[in-house]
Amino acid sequence: MGTFHDDKGELHGITVAVDTRGKEILVGRCDTITNTAIILNDADVHEDGAGGKSKADYLKRAAMFGVFKKHDRVAVPLDEVTSIKRLSEASDPSARDYAEGFAHAAPAPAAAKAEGATATATATKTETAKQVVELTESAQAEVKRLVEAEAKAKPGVGLRLGVKGGGCSGLSYKLEFDTKKDGDTVIPYPGFSVFLDKKSTIYLRGVKLDHQKGLAGKGFVFHNPNATNTCGCGESFSV
Amino acid sequence: MPYDPTLVQPMRDELVQAGVQELRSGSDVENWMKQNKGTALLVINSVCGCAAGMARPGVRLALKHGKKPDRVATVFAGQDTEATQKARSYFADVPPSSPSMALFKDGELVHFVPRHMIEDRSAQAVAQSLTAAFDQFCAAK
Repeated sequence: MGTFHDDKGELHGITVAVDTRGKEILVGRCDTITNTAIILNDADVHEDGAGGKSKADYLKRAAMFGVFKKHDRVAVPLDEVTSIKRLSEASDPSARDYAEGFAHAAPAPAAAKAEGATATATATKTETAKQVVELTESAQAEVKRLVEAEAKAKPGVGLRLGVKGGGCSGLSYKLEFDTKKDGDTVIPYPGFSVFLDKKSTIYLRGVKLDHQKGLAGKGFVFHNPNATNTCGCGESFSV
Repeated sequence: MPYDPTLVQPMRDELVQAGVQELRSGSDVENWMKQNKGTALLVINSVCGCAAGMARPGVRLALKHGKKPDRVATVFAGQDTEATQKARSYFADVPPSSPSMALFKDGELVHFVPRHMIEDRSAQAVAQSLTAAFDQFCAAK
């Protein structure tokens, strides 16, 4: 009822609460759900415990009044999602959970343990990791060369990709050498690994990193399908 | 970019024809809010088909209820931006959403219906949510 865009699914235009396996819970207006992500417009993200508020505290107030949006558009990877509920029903434990309809939605950690499937869940995460960020062959070659040099002084180092606030379009890409940290998504490539923290995984889903050589080349270049605006220099974007 | 005013006019008329006062500017809102005795319902109208399509009939139905606010007015989000901004300044702690409805008693916000409580609901359900608040805060007419 009510939506003019039936092709976008029954949650199109509906404000939903999206809980993740990590610390983040998001509230936003659902645009669509693809094979890999749920796309939210006018979304807010709350980190469990931030401002002294648990996910449940945050959800309780959000269900009463709504949320102040922090992002025009956010793509939440389905393999990070543990539940999707209408915000108006979010605090009702018996309300329909739309994440249950997606075979690729991640099982909650407790469920994975109950089924003795922790190893499977981990394997799945690694298997799908390359869907998060992809490096072109030229980018792989350049990163491998740089990582090998860096690893002489810092063993275990890989390439960390991320986002940070700032830049003329709102968010900036982060590209640095680092070691793996707890909670990171790890994307293995021959000779090196790419690390992404959970927050960055949300923003960088579907990004392709290229490396352009030569006089007219720009070095490392991000191609981001989620970005709705990109600044002229290509170093910042918004979603 | 705002919608063509010609397309929006029927959405304005839907409320105006039910006796809702339209506030088009910030000063309209300020003057309306100054009369802060009694109960007042402010409807934030919007084009959005996912929610506003049922919000307006919901308001019309609710206004047929035995108990209702002394005054009812509306601003149009995305169209009359100055009026909408001014209206929202009276409940700045509440995240902006449209359509939405704010019920005041003696100038104080006593009930708020945000967009997510309207979207995908029937006009009857929207009306029911409003009349429950009218029963609590408004006098019989």
